[in-house]
Amino acid sequence: MLTTLKHKAGKLTIAAALGLGMASSASAVDLTMYYPVAVGGPLTKVVDGMVEDFEKANPDINVNAIYAGNYNDARIKALAALKSGEPAQTSVMFSIDIYELIEQGAIVPFDDVVETADEKAWLDGFYPALMENGKTRDKTWGIPFQRSTIVMYYNKDAFRAAGLDPEAPPATWDELVEAGKKLTKKNGDTVEQWGAMIPSTGYPYWMFGALAMQNGQTLMNSEGNETYFDAPATVEALQFWQDLGNKHGIMPTGTVEWATLRQNFLEGKTAMMWHSTGNLTAVKKDASFDFGVAMLPAQKRRGSPTGGGNFYIFEKSTPEERKAAMKLIRFLTEPERTAQWSIETGYLGTRPDAYSTAELTQYVQDFPPAAVARDQLEFATAELSTFQNGRVRKLLDDAIQSVLVGDKTAAEALGSAQKQADRLLKNYR
Amino acid sequence: MRTANLKEKISLHFEYGAAYLLALIWMLPLIYAFWSAFHPSEYATRFDLLAPLTLDNFREAWSQAPFARYFLNTFLLVSIILLAQFILCTLAAYAFARFEFPGKSIAFALVLIQLMIMPEVLIVENYVTMSQLNLVDSIVGIGLPYMASAFGIFLLRQTFKTIPKELEDAARVEGCSALQILWKVYVPLARPTYVAFGLVSVSYHWNNFLWPLVITNSVTTRPLTVGLAIFGAPESGVDWSIITAGTLLAVAPLLVAFLLFQRQFVQSFMHAGIK
Repeated sequence: MLTTLKHKAGKLTIAAALGLGMASSASAVDLTMYYPVAVGGPLTKVVDGMVEDFEKANPDINVNAIYAGNYNDARIKALAALKSGEPAQTSVMFSIDIYELIEQGAIVPFDDVVETADEKAWLDGFYPALMENGKTRDKTWGIPFQRSTIVMYYNKDAFRAAGLDPEAPPATWDELVEAGKKLTKKNGDTVEQWGAMIPSTGYPYWMFGALAMQNGQTLMNSEGNETYFDAPATVEALQFWQDLGNKHGIMPTGTVEWATLRQNFLEGKTAMMWHSTGNLTAVKKDASFDFGVAMLPAQKRRGSPTGGGNFYIFEKSTPEERKAAMKLIRFLTEPERTAQWSIETGYLGTRPDAYSTAELTQYVQDFPPAAVARDQLEFATAELSTFQNGRVRKLLDDAIQSVLVGDKTAAEALGSAQKQADRLLKNYR
Repeated sequence: MRTANLKEKISLHFEYGAAYLLALIWMLPLIYAFWSAFHPSEYATRFDLLAPLTLDNFREAWSQAPFARYFLNTFLLVSIILLAQFILCTLAAYAFARFEFPGKSIAFALVLIQLMIMPEVLIVENYVTMSQLNLVDSIVGIGLPYMASAFGIFLLRQTFKTIPKELEDAARVEGCSALQILWKVYVPLARPTYVAFGLVSVSYHWNNFLWPLVITNSVTTRPLTVGLAIFGAPESGVDWSIITAGTLLAVAPLLVAFLLFQRQFVQSFMHAGIK
């Protein structure tokens, strides 16, 4: 009896304490934010540090920033939390998840949250190419945060050894083939150094988006309900990719592994590689030779898709929480913080004004490769993103790989991918 | 006669050769992990006997996440799950093996159906349940969906069924109650099955990733696998030296335990018929 009484008394005290605590910070907003990590390095510490700074500057907002695995894991975690009673209010997720999130009614457009002219100006301050994956139906749903693009890394020492000008990397497809032939070194039948490698596992659709854009063709419309897989320029682009290995012999035939490509480049097994800017910091740290970074070469024009993660605000949130979430996102994308984020991670600075900060200006001056990705943004386009994204992407991935390993011709593979994509997207038109 | 002998010998050698080959193929990833974890990253995919050895990879991997805490969490997690599984599965298996009650075959069929459902399908539903129980972001919350293991119930039921009824009758004559019979007759005789099931359960939950990631939010609850995942780096490609060092750290306790108790484990598996 006595113990139950004690127990009850204890509970009461706790409840009272909680009540008091709540009363004293009645205006405080608690935010939960998920973020994925997609590149190497101690990124969780960088994010935690920036969130801490935000809490110091905004004592009335508590942020619980939670690491949520890779992009896929983060989406699963966010959607699971949304369906239970304990959702997050904001999250960084893959920029191409936008249509799925809209379809599920999970996110709100930023246009509904911004009010003041100041906030609107902030919304318009990002690179337009980076906004493409965050905008649809005339509204902005995603704010660029951890964004990257594809660039060409090349081994300047290998260029010198082959009698090429290390300061003039190939700028067109023809020059790429020509330089590649000079750079491919054979010892009998085995190739000691390939001219170039474009990875075709992991994210083949992403690399292919670059080739198609260079040939003047996008892969989908901005409503996300139509794909252009069988357009003549798309087929040509895939044919060129296959030719690099089969006809010109400057790239291994078959597929090139995404996950080990950086290692291959660092060990001199290829003189050029196309890869994410997310690799810049690692290449810089580990390269034992003089390397350069260049924009991807052009056929009809230059081009590369952007990639990476955007901020979203979830629909299941109170107006106060949305305001607080936007405050947080604004804080994290301020020019100084964007500059710091870019330097520490290798991701792009998402806003032109970030590149005018003292830190980033200095960084780009000391390390010019960091500016290449920025300058290429002018020619960049959205990453493949549609409704039924996972399945549509898989169709294109499979088509690309079946052509590279020689099972199908480019026209065949892309034609059938387009037919199946049409079937999936029909209901969204 | 002699040719028959020779034939036997040859086929025996052949069998041994094949067994060693298979073992080697199975061990290759582990061997590679040891190679690249102890060498600087330049040598991660280049084999050079004279490559310098280093422990830097381990130091760097260890510093990137609070691994000491994650070890504790994982250890608590697998212990809690294993204990709960042993208790629940033993009682359920005993009931299914030795008692008659209405709806027994339907109940057992339901247990078997559970074997066929991938746990990943239930992530959202389980999350909702945990949220209603107020167990999101707790170690018990990670373990609860796995505690009534259908596999464990099935396995123990089969084992209990093979134990001669006469032993139970003898115990009853001595005046044992049903629970005493379970404790004194069935559990000791099913020891190999417990060891085998324990090994499967511990290694599964030691390695489980997606559900623990989804249901947890803080350092105090997250297991090792979630800590390891930050080395995954899908966008930039993996730093093999660091990730293999982290992996070796994470599997080391299991690896050591297996090497120490190898003989017992293998015998238990033969006994319990799990392959």
